[in-house]
Amino acid sequence: MSALGGKASGGEGINPTGTVVGIIILLVSIAATYALGFSIVPLIGIIIGGALIGFGVHFVPVGGAPAAMGQAPGIATGVAMLAAGAGLAGLFGGAWAYEATGDFIVAIAGGAVGGGLMMAITCLMVNATYVFAMGIPAASGKVAKDPITGDTFPEYKSQGTEGHGLPFVSFFGGVVGGFIAGLGGTIIYLELFDVYLANLPALMNGATTESIQPLAVSLAGIFAIGFFLVNAVLAAYNITGTIEGPHDPKFKRVPRAVIGCAVASAFCGLISMLIIYNTGM
Amino acid sequence: MEEIVLGIGITALAGALATVAGAAEDTESDIGSQGDPNSQVQLAPQMGYIHRIFNKAVSGEPPAYGAWCVIGAGVAWALMQINYNPALAIILGSVIAVFVQGIYCTSGYLGRIASLAKFQQPVYIDIIKSLTPVTMAHAFVAIFCTVAMCYLMASVLHHPFALPLLGLVWGIALGAAGSATGNPFYGKERQYQNQKFGAGVPISASGNIVRYAEAGQRSSLDNGWFTTKFAGPASGICFGLIVFLELWRTILFEELLNGWGAIIIGIILILVFTLIDRWVEKWGRRTYGPYTSEEASS
Repeated sequence: MSALGGKASGGEGINPTGTVVGIIILLVSIAATYALGFSIVPLIGIIIGGALIGFGVHFVPVGGAPAAMGQAPGIATGVAMLAAGAGLAGLFGGAWAYEATGDFIVAIAGGAVGGGLMMAITCLMVNATYVFAMGIPAASGKVAKDPITGDTFPEYKSQGTEGHGLPFVSFFGGVVGGFIAGLGGTIIYLELFDVYLANLPALMNGATTESIQPLAVSLAGIFAIGFFLVNAVLAAYNITGTIEGPHDPKFKRVPRAVIGCAVASAFCGLISMLIIYNTGM
Repeated sequence: MEEIVLGIGITALAGALATVAGAAEDTESDIGSQGDPNSQVQLAPQMGYIHRIFNKAVSGEPPAYGAWCVIGAGVAWALMQINYNPALAIILGSVIAVFVQGIYCTSGYLGRIASLAKFQQPVYIDIIKSLTPVTMAHAFVAIFCTVAMCYLMASVLHHPFALPLLGLVWGIALGAAGSATGNPFYGKERQYQNQKFGAGVPISASGNIVRYAEAGQRSSLDNGWFTTKFAGPASGICFGLIVFLELWRTILFEELLNGWGAIIIGIILILVFTLIDRWVEKWGRRTYGPYTSEEASS
């Protein structure tokens, strides 16, 4: 049920025909990348990063417009937007850590923690607003009991609503979602950055790697933001409106989003590599 | 050592700028009805409640602020490339971004309200004249502070991203933090002031927003006055904390354990915020208690 009383649209299962078509697109994208002479390792990294973003978005408790009226639990903004905000805060930290240390693992861990920290602060302020300014305790509409703390919800849910605020399981989901989205985004950025740094000098008539670095950073950054929005929006379509977090029945739809995001990332990854394809002209 | 001291100073300044930006952003969006509560402003005339609330939602707050901050940062960056003074360049960039915001607001209001013509909702020209400059002024503060903060990150803290890219990243994060924190207060506490305090708005009451003030009809300026009491500062604290702690953990602890220091501190901070959140949640349940029916409580 949505907040306005309509039935949730979209099935829970995986469409076999769509999945087969998607996997063919994915394989064709990988094959095309290989045929053009690029290494397929960065593209695999991009596909994993995109799938992680799609997976992470499903954890983020998003209530949209009903949450802004205390009619449904979650954070009162759009799915794609919130996940992008958290993921980009993570990307900021990950890119900075890579610049400072040059270590891939440190950079992606830095990106993940940056996204998780942004979501932890945001979710805390959401709950502080509900509790201290509006006098409304947190209550889930989808489950009777918090799976983590064991708090019961039906008696704390006000009449005529589907719940409100952020129960602890939703807070946890938000932090995990920011963490995974930040991780995925930083992987995409680093893969693209390395590809651009290696290929741009030859494309620009032998410019030095140092002089090309700002361009590589900017291109990889812009593309990483683009990947974020593509995958977050795809996941948002899968969610259809609002989701409370990992305990929400809609969370079962996540395999579909992971497949969709992997396919979209593979195709977008191919495009992002084509811009540095040296045609010899 | 000097570099770390400078870094801490810049971190504090960036955090302060982010706090002001967050507060201005949320107030701007509440006066303009930009965030999710806008759904009720749009719905009200369809339910027969004609109002004089400004209704300028261009898009969600994050992409809108991403666009405006990247315009401000991009113009400022271009001007700095031709040797403009950075302060002047940031001001000029923000001014141009604010004009874009004003154009979007005007077309947003006219488009949205005109679409409600069949429900007898009039387009009020005086609302455009009086409220668009107010939202532009707040947006200027938000964009200027964000671009100035991004400039500090790029030039002093040497973040690898170029200024326009930082403007996009932090503009989207600003909108996400502001809309997440500020929207419930504006949507529930102000638009539905006629509903019971301490409870969510029943779905059956959707669209019945408060349309009258102490004297005459309620204006969106009244909404800005109300939300600056909590939603604006809370959004400011939210965005300020995000920026401050993100920079703080990197500046102070990046060198420790080959970069793992900043990550460990980040995880500790997440755990601290988790504990505070759990305390807030329990405080709410303990203080307010479960809902009871009117017969049982009387």
